[in-house]
Amino acid sequence: MRDLATDTMLEIDGLTLSFRTNRGRVKALREITFPVRKGRILGIVGESGSGKSTVLWSVLGLLAGNAEVTAGRVEYGGKNLLTLNAEGLRALRGEEISVVFQDPMTSQIPVLPYAQQMSDILYRRSMSEADKRKAAIDMLRRVGIPDPESRVDAYPHQFSGGMRQRAGIAMSMLTGPNLLLADEPTTALDVTMEAQMIDLMRGLRDDFDTTIVVVSHNLGLIAEMCDDVVVMYAGEVVETGEVHDIFHNARHPYTRALLECDPARIADVSRRLPVIPGDIPDLTASLSGCIFASRCQKALPACSTTAPPLVERGTGVAKCHLLEGPFADPSWPPPADVTTVMRDTGKNLDASVTEAKPLLEVRDLNVQFRTMGAMKTRLRGVGRPFVDAVLDVSLDIRPGETLALVGESGSGKTTLGRTILNLQDAAGGSVRFEGNEIRNMSERRFKPLRRDMAMMFQDPVGSLSPRKSVRALITEPLLIHGAEGRNLDSEAERLADMVRLPRGFLSRYPHELSGGQARRVGVARALALNPKLIIADEPTAGLDVSVQGEILNLMADLQAEHGLSYLIITHNLPVVRHIADRIAIMYLGRIVEEGPAAEVFARPAHPYTRALVEGVPQPDPDRRRQKTDAIKGEVPSLLRRPKGCDFATRCPLAHDTCRESKPQHRQIAPDHRHACLFPLR
Amino acid sequence: MTIYLFKRFGLAAVVVMAVLLLLFSMLHMIPGNPAILALGTRATPEAIAEYSARMHLDEPVLKQFVYFLGSAVQGDLGEDVFSNRPVTAIIAERMGFSLALICTGMGWAVLLGVPLGCLAAVRPGSWLDRVTGIFSVGTIAVPSFLVSIWALLLFSIQLRWLPAIGAGEPGNFADQLSHLVLPAFAIGLGWVGYLARMVRASMLEVMGEPYIRSASAFGLKPRRIVLGYALRVAILPTITLIGMGFGGLISSAVFAEIIFARPGVGKMIFDAVSDRNFPIVQGGVLVATGFYILVVLLSDLLIAWLDPRVRSSL
Repeated sequence: MRDLATDTMLEIDGLTLSFRTNRGRVKALREITFPVRKGRILGIVGESGSGKSTVLWSVLGLLAGNAEVTAGRVEYGGKNLLTLNAEGLRALRGEEISVVFQDPMTSQIPVLPYAQQMSDILYRRSMSEADKRKAAIDMLRRVGIPDPESRVDAYPHQFSGGMRQRAGIAMSMLTGPNLLLADEPTTALDVTMEAQMIDLMRGLRDDFDTTIVVVSHNLGLIAEMCDDVVVMYAGEVVETGEVHDIFHNARHPYTRALLECDPARIADVSRRLPVIPGDIPDLTASLSGCIFASRCQKALPACSTTAPPLVERGTGVAKCHLLEGPFADPSWPPPADVTTVMRDTGKNLDASVTEAKPLLEVRDLNVQFRTMGAMKTRLRGVGRPFVDAVLDVSLDIRPGETLALVGESGSGKTTLGRTILNLQDAAGGSVRFEGNEIRNMSERRFKPLRRDMAMMFQDPVGSLSPRKSVRALITEPLLIHGAEGRNLDSEAERLADMVRLPRGFLSRYPHELSGGQARRVGVARALALNPKLIIADEPTAGLDVSVQGEILNLMADLQAEHGLSYLIITHNLPVVRHIADRIAIMYLGRIVEEGPAAEVFARPAHPYTRALVEGVPQPDPDRRRQKTDAIKGEVPSLLRRPKGCDFATRCPLAHDTCRESKPQHRQIAPDHRHACLFPLR
Repeated sequence: MTIYLFKRFGLAAVVVMAVLLLLFSMLHMIPGNPAILALGTRATPEAIAEYSARMHLDEPVLKQFVYFLGSAVQGDLGEDVFSNRPVTAIIAERMGFSLALICTGMGWAVLLGVPLGCLAAVRPGSWLDRVTGIFSVGTIAVPSFLVSIWALLLFSIQLRWLPAIGAGEPGNFADQLSHLVLPAFAIGLGWVGYLARMVRASMLEVMGEPYIRSASAFGLKPRRIVLGYALRVAILPTITLIGMGFGGLISSAVFAEIIFARPGVGKMIFDAVSDRNFPIVQGGVLVATGFYILVVLLSDLLIAWLDPRVRSSL
């Protein structure tokens, strides 16, 4: 055994905790045990409902009021943090143990400047205000905030998303803590930002000798950043180990399944993604046996009755019957190339793209947003009081085709989708649907067309009225468009069957649905009127990897059955690679590259495309990038569109010409074009 | 910012105009000829005609309105029908009493209501929270003129602690203060409960925000978190409410001034309406409207000063 006293920064031992709710006691954490080794980065990975964040908050004693710790210890510096009084905990918080939060937008107080927020953290230090300010400036500089002397007086809303998270990291590192807890630190950020944050946090660990615990659902982040990994499922630790062992030698069926479900790890392009069928068990019920048994492909009868053994291995443990005891299976775990998760082949899936005329044709579409009122414009003598949110965009979608529109936040992809659906006025260009001009049509004339074009909204729960039952929600489009002669109840059942939502769910309300179920309702609503085109805004955002496959498979099946066309708006490149026929990459409202998905991924022409493709953190520690030098900085504001190429300010290959002249679109293959002056191919 | 202020003042002018126009048409629908009221029932038709011509009473209402606006811009609100003193002078000597009453009424409501709401929110479910809750609903439900009458009966007539009528001797500050206590108590009481409720709700919402948890996670002291962080944000909607509340207090003050016979603007308007003393009514309403618009503007500017997000959008 290791010498715990000198080697371990934090020891969590048998932590058991429940939440009192009106549904009963939710046994949120059960016997959580793992050490956090000094100077290392430990990742807690798990899906929603796994309790990974709850572990983090129990270390700090910042659990919700209805939480009740029933057993266990959290040992830090010879003290049990679970029994430490409020004074004692407060002395540690921010000084010795610090936190990086998930969403810097909501976790930083909007009404105080960073200088104030940071000097507040240093209130225990006997330093002058000037020294505190200097310390704040130094730390902001260290995390890469340009011009920190003046930026220290900025307020959070004046920073971009990436800068805000940098500032959040600066705040947490200000006191030079021994232990840094990071709760989904990159979830609110774009891919290119994510890579920079991982880099920054690893660098800080080396400089300050800080131990880091990072909680994430993102396998890529865990593989790139962590040394040790803890895998959690439904409130239990199912496996622990060093990062290489977890990613290449997983022993628990859940770990294995989770890895196999990650689209980024599936090498060959496949329309059907693997899934872990079923849902997380109800944690208010009494639990017996293995917690994963109900969803495990390898489950034995004993798994649901007998608690699995805890099997040690060099760097960690795994909790599974297959590994030890009477049910041990020497053939488990199988070699890496064997698939263990469910991968239903579904129907015959050659969604044939007919070479017919395009269903949707967008030509030179422009959308502008006003930036200031008429009076201000005249007084200040501004010539263009608006920004170009969408700039000269041309696209085609053929019947039965999936086009993915990819870009970071602020790229204008959602605006483009809204404009196609006539929810946003365009300043110029044309949008033709089945050959008819529909741009800026009056709502009265457009209404019949809404039957043919449906939208799947980004936030599945937020876009459903909380006061309506699922039945009412999925038949709502029928009512709006006249449901004469239709039996709404049978329609509701037909739609529920189509999206494979059990009919019993029809009488439920949105808050009673899981993320995946709410998505299905969103799909059913979009399908209600038998549309020809579905515009899906981030169809898998907020879904766990084990569930996102189900939704994407469903969408693929529906496409094959009904010849649907999809316009998928997303920033999730690994998913796009599997589901899209063609990809259009957007940057600052312009399409910088468009072509067949396989081509664009294999041989991108635009440096931005390459940066995006390479920017996705690889869920494999062996492919970890040492230094992210591919792309720097952030997407510039639309207010400050660069003079030359839009991407020139961040492009690692930019020439002087790029900063002077705007590149025009160039065709490099019949259906592959780009806008780059010095293309990669 | 300049453009913002410019817009706000423009809007204020439009509001004042609309209020005055409404008032003008209303006054002219009230039965009774102001000329007869001013000159007495035994006035000769010639005298009435002469008076009507001098006061523009024989011209169309809209024209009268334009005359009134024209002189109002020059600071002339006309003359008292009975005493022929300038309306501005009369308002000037009475405005102080009303301002003192309204500001004291709101002042003590803020000083008591905001801390009460804050304390109730910090410990939801505690006895203080419950008492505050019951007290709030109780005081909001009772109209201020009833509070005025009860306070008058209890403290002035039964206990004889405080004076009942008037605003106190001119120049005697202590006397004026003792005359201010009861009416200010009466009009502010409902606002104590109202503000406590609003601040409590607002604080509870803010205390659940992630940035409050951040502050706890950085080990800040609870007092600093509540006062420096949570209240700092939670007070913003309350400021808007207080600003608008002055509108309600102006009407409460009318009742209080009548009941306590305080020589304020409210009582002046009330008396003038019964006497058909139109210039006084118009002048009084103009001042009250202007005061209200000014207070709302000030509250908006205060919010902009406290909230950088609002500030940068101006």
